[in-house]
Amino acid sequence: MNCQLCQKELNAYRERRLSDDMRTQVEAHLKLCAECAESYRIESLADTIINQEKVISPDNYLFSKIMARIESAEETDYRTISPLTRILRPVLIMTSMAAAIFAGVLIGNIYRPSDRNMLRPVELALIDDAAIESVEILSNQ
Amino acid sequence: MNDGEIIRLILQGDRQIFRVLVEKYQPMVFRTCMGFLHDKDDADDLTQDIFIQAYQSLHRFKGEASFSTWIYRIAVNASLNTVRKNSGYRVLNRLDSLFGSGREKDISLPVFDTENPESILIRQEHSKWVQNALDSLPEKQRTAIVLSKYDDLSQREIAEIMKTTEGAVEALIQRAKTNLRLKLSSSYKKNNKTP
Repeated sequence: MNCQLCQKELNAYRERRLSDDMRTQVEAHLKLCAECAESYRIESLADTIINQEKVISPDNYLFSKIMARIESAEETDYRTISPLTRILRPVLIMTSMAAAIFAGVLIGNIYRPSDRNMLRPVELALIDDAAIESVEILSNQ
Repeated sequence: MNDGEIIRLILQGDRQIFRVLVEKYQPMVFRTCMGFLHDKDDADDLTQDIFIQAYQSLHRFKGEASFSTWIYRIAVNASLNTVRKNSGYRVLNRLDSLFGSGREKDISLPVFDTENPESILIRQEHSKWVQNALDSLPEKQRTAIVLSKYDDLSQREIAEIMKTTEGAVEALIQRAKTNLRLKLSSSYKKNNKTP
């Protein structure tokens, strides 16, 4: 047996799928050829490690966790605001605030007394501003 | 009840029957994830993501391929995406461990009662070599070898999942094995140990 044939049959040899005759030939070659023997050891080791990973079992509560996440995602979707509403919401808030201020000013003007002078004390109403001497005149003297 | 009928019922609103699909396909999806990630917690999280993605895309399942092929495709794509994402973090982790503050992830392997601490350490070291050798393979070779070794799928099934021919899968598996052998040999030589 040559190395090429041995390498080809190594998988079947490891999995014990070879005929007795072929198995004997592979074993004889492995005893003589260090390179093929190393390949055999390495591949066997890789298979052992992979088989150890394969026996690890998944989470027992996988389905419950999946359903919880699906339900939560669906609730979020339901609550999700549409992009139009997302844009309009701040605009609406600003508009309503401006409208409230405008209405306040308007109402304030409507209920303003017609003659503000009526609220002025009599003493102040009698003061004639035009008659008061200018500060400039005083400073020139 | 076959997969097609189950999917029809789910699409009609029977959410609880999705459990049947999850229980049927969870071991194989998890094994595929383990083949790519080698970590139980990461594989658990990714398995959840894959089933959620499958549930949300069920209306797009046309039945042209079997449900198992369809979910395997989702699993392989999701695993490859996670691997690509993790490769960025791995560079940062290496830098981190270079300065002594980084912590390497524990290897997920079952521990047997009869084992002594030394043999556990040796097994973990060998496991790391195998995982590193698998991780260094090109994506297509890696996918083919994971589906072959971890899920024990035939070349025909792998070809269907990867949307290629059986001949191409055979070539990919052969190249992957050769690369694995070379990488593992160099790991042994570097550490002057034989398996």
